[in-house]
Amino acid sequence: MNTGEYIESGILEAYVLGVLTADENLEVAAYVAMHPELSAELDAIESALIQYSASGVSLPQVGVSDKIWKTINPSAPLASASKNVPLPAPQKNVQWRYAAIWIVLAGSLALNLLLWNIGRKNADTAIALTKEVACLHMDQQLLTAQLDDYLKAKDMMADTAMQTIVMHTMQKGHPMAATLYWSKEKAEAYVSVDGLPKPPEGMQYQLWVIQDGKPVDMGVLSNKMANTPKIQKVAMAVSSGEAFAITLEKNGGSPVPTMENLYVLGKA
Amino acid sequence: MGEIATKYNEEELIQLLKEQNKAGFDYLYQNYAGALYGVIYRILNDEQTSQDVLQDVFVKIWNSVAQYNPNKGRLYTWMLNISRNAAIDKTRSKGEIMKSKIHTGENIVDSLEQNIKTEQATDTIGLRNMVADLKPEHASIINLAYFNGYTIEEISKTLNIPSGTVKTRMRSAIGQLRKAFAVK
Repeated sequence: MNTGEYIESGILEAYVLGVLTADENLEVAAYVAMHPELSAELDAIESALIQYSASGVSLPQVGVSDKIWKTINPSAPLASASKNVPLPAPQKNVQWRYAAIWIVLAGSLALNLLLWNIGRKNADTAIALTKEVACLHMDQQLLTAQLDDYLKAKDMMADTAMQTIVMHTMQKGHPMAATLYWSKEKAEAYVSVDGLPKPPEGMQYQLWVIQDGKPVDMGVLSNKMANTPKIQKVAMAVSSGEAFAITLEKNGGSPVPTMENLYVLGKA
Repeated sequence: MGEIATKYNEEELIQLLKEQNKAGFDYLYQNYAGALYGVIYRILNDEQTSQDVLQDVFVKIWNSVAQYNPNKGRLYTWMLNISRNAAIDKTRSKGEIMKSKIHTGENIVDSLEQNIKTEQATDTIGLRNMVADLKPEHASIINLAYFNGYTIEEISKTLNIPSGTVKTRMRSAIGQLRKAFAVK
């Protein structure tokens, strides 16, 4: 039996009317499931029967619906306007909607993750750059200071009247040296202790000028100077002297040089 | 009842009802209350009683929609069965004489013809016109099946026609209804 003959047999009408046996109902349901084109036919039969039954009877439209709703759902507020409330939009393709929602959610999540990662990387980069800038700034300050020193040294060297006195080690087995730049006319002197080791804790280098065979205190040298090419201006005016010397003394210096700690000496 | 809304398909409506959604109730009422009331009214012939039964029917549909099995029949057919049974139960509880399935064929035909005459006399012009469009042999089959829930076999015995003929007459009867209501 093809679907056309099946339709013409009238079994679908009997099925909708609910007058078939339980077994016949199952058979029809199975047949319709295999032939979905019959669904429209069933819909048409049902629609005709619904209109046939509903026509000619007058069910009061107002009140009955609310009364039934109140019976079904006593806790719900009486929705007197319920009949005027538009029904929600048909839920066709509802699975597609769920799928679309999930896709959008997943996409949004992925995008957020991506943006968050980029943001975090940017933040990391910013921190790194800030650190680098700070380092460069410190380097630059250092270089500026060094340049300043060199410029001073250059100016100093450029002074044709400036005398360079190299002080040599006085401690056997310890090669040490220091340099003194002296302008006798200006009574100015500069000292570099690049060739001296860092003094031990609590000790300090002290500069002496030998005048008429006697050591004269020229002040202590900053410990920062030792072992660096920095040049320090000697605080006191020096207009005469036969030689210069550096001794290691206790912090703050000594009124007389400690001879066993005479490190370097240079004749003018 | 106006036109048949087709906004929800059966599956969607059943889902709404299972969720106890008010929209599901509204849709159910708007689309089926008139038809189910029509069935109940044609069995009971009393407006107030029919409205009470309709309420019971809706409560039953609402509470037992989870038991509806689409493999055994359509949703409307399931609701139709609930309505018919509730209305028939009401006639029994009232102690009315049931023109029921135990009656002999002749009695049934007699009472059926009376029923139809009563309907034609009491129902509105719309139904009268509509029923007038049905040939008597078609009208009797539809009314026996639809409003009394007679099985094919019972109709066959009652009208003394083969069960195959019962079904083909059902088809042509509903075909006339479809034409009358412009259902393609």
